[in-house]
Amino acid sequence: MTTRRVELDQDTVERDLMKLVLTLIELLRQLMERQALRRVDQGDLSEEQEERIGLTLMLLADRMAELRDRYGFEPGDLNLDLGPLGPLLPPADR
Amino acid sequence: MNGNADAAAGLLYLYAVARDTDLPGRHLTPSPHHPRPVTGVAGEPVELVRHLDLVGVAGRVPAADFDEEPLHRHLEDLDWLATVAHRHQAVIEAASSAAATGVLPLRLATVYRDEESLRRMLRARHEALTAALGRLDGTVEWGVKVYTLPGPEKEERTTPAPSASGGVGRAYLRRRGAERRADEHRARQADDAVRQIHTALAASAEDTHLHAPQNSRLSTHPGHNLLNASYLVRRDDDSAFTAEVRAQVERAPAWGLMVELTGPWVPYSFAATTTGPADGTDDR
Repeated sequence: MTTRRVELDQDTVERDLMKLVLTLIELLRQLMERQALRRVDQGDLSEEQEERIGLTLMLLADRMAELRDRYGFEPGDLNLDLGPLGPLLPPADR
Repeated sequence: MNGNADAAAGLLYLYAVARDTDLPGRHLTPSPHHPRPVTGVAGEPVELVRHLDLVGVAGRVPAADFDEEPLHRHLEDLDWLATVAHRHQAVIEAASSAAATGVLPLRLATVYRDEESLRRMLRARHEALTAALGRLDGTVEWGVKVYTLPGPEKEERTTPAPSASGGVGRAYLRRRGAERRADEHRARQADDAVRQIHTALAASAEDTHLHAPQNSRLSTHPGHNLLNASYLVRRDDDSAFTAEVRAQVERAPAWGLMVELTGPWVPYSFAATTTGPADGTDDR
């Protein structure tokens, strides 16, 4: 394609990069949370472990929300379209 | 280009195939006594190419736009594509309303070298084309999409109060676990409901075709597209089908869903599987 203009706007590049980084962090956060919830359900964590993991996940979620706000992203913006495989993150997840 | 006489005139763009007796004359006209032919994707008069008991609804288009290589370039140009798709559909609609027993619509940009190669295709696929015309005779296509309704806004996440059974971290985990189970429950319910809707509609349809759900980021709808289906319906069953859709439209909000109906269309989704080659140019 020769008609599409290449935009090398500094802000756009940084925003796109932040979006990609935040998307990957969000993926890891969701995976960790899912793993933690499964282990809680199975009951193989001590109460102290549950408390520590829960706090960590909660702080991570808060921090994610802050970063999203700073860069003006909605939760649904942090996702990648993998074409025929669908989206990287489940659409309804917060 | 292979240097034959038709090459200078360009390529032959095929819109649809119909039964010979359904479309009289040399050109496709909006009505039997209308003097001016319908115009096609390149503004050309749409011709009727007869072979055996079939007729191809076709137009001569410039090779500079529709030969394989320029065509691939054009297909990435959304404005060009929108214009061509619109005109393509207009020709098919015109042919469909002129032909008593319906037409077999072809996909966008089905192109032949010349009349001879188009006739060759009509001969080679005669049996399949005739069968498809018979199957689609007297049918229309309805499109049904099911979307999730935007859910109730979740209240802002607040720091959970430590309860008797543990600290803030454990309370957070419990709440997320409950939310996740609720989400999964909702998703399962929606899946069941979509399956019920599809089964109910399929019962009054001849055939169904499931398309990939639309990417919600490209759609104007706030919800997610869970079902994107086409239903082939006999004209005689039309009112039964649309009544069934109306019933589903009314039930859907109780499941957190929204049902959208489009049509009636010429049965594109059911013709594509029986006609023509997978790629645009063929039979050179």
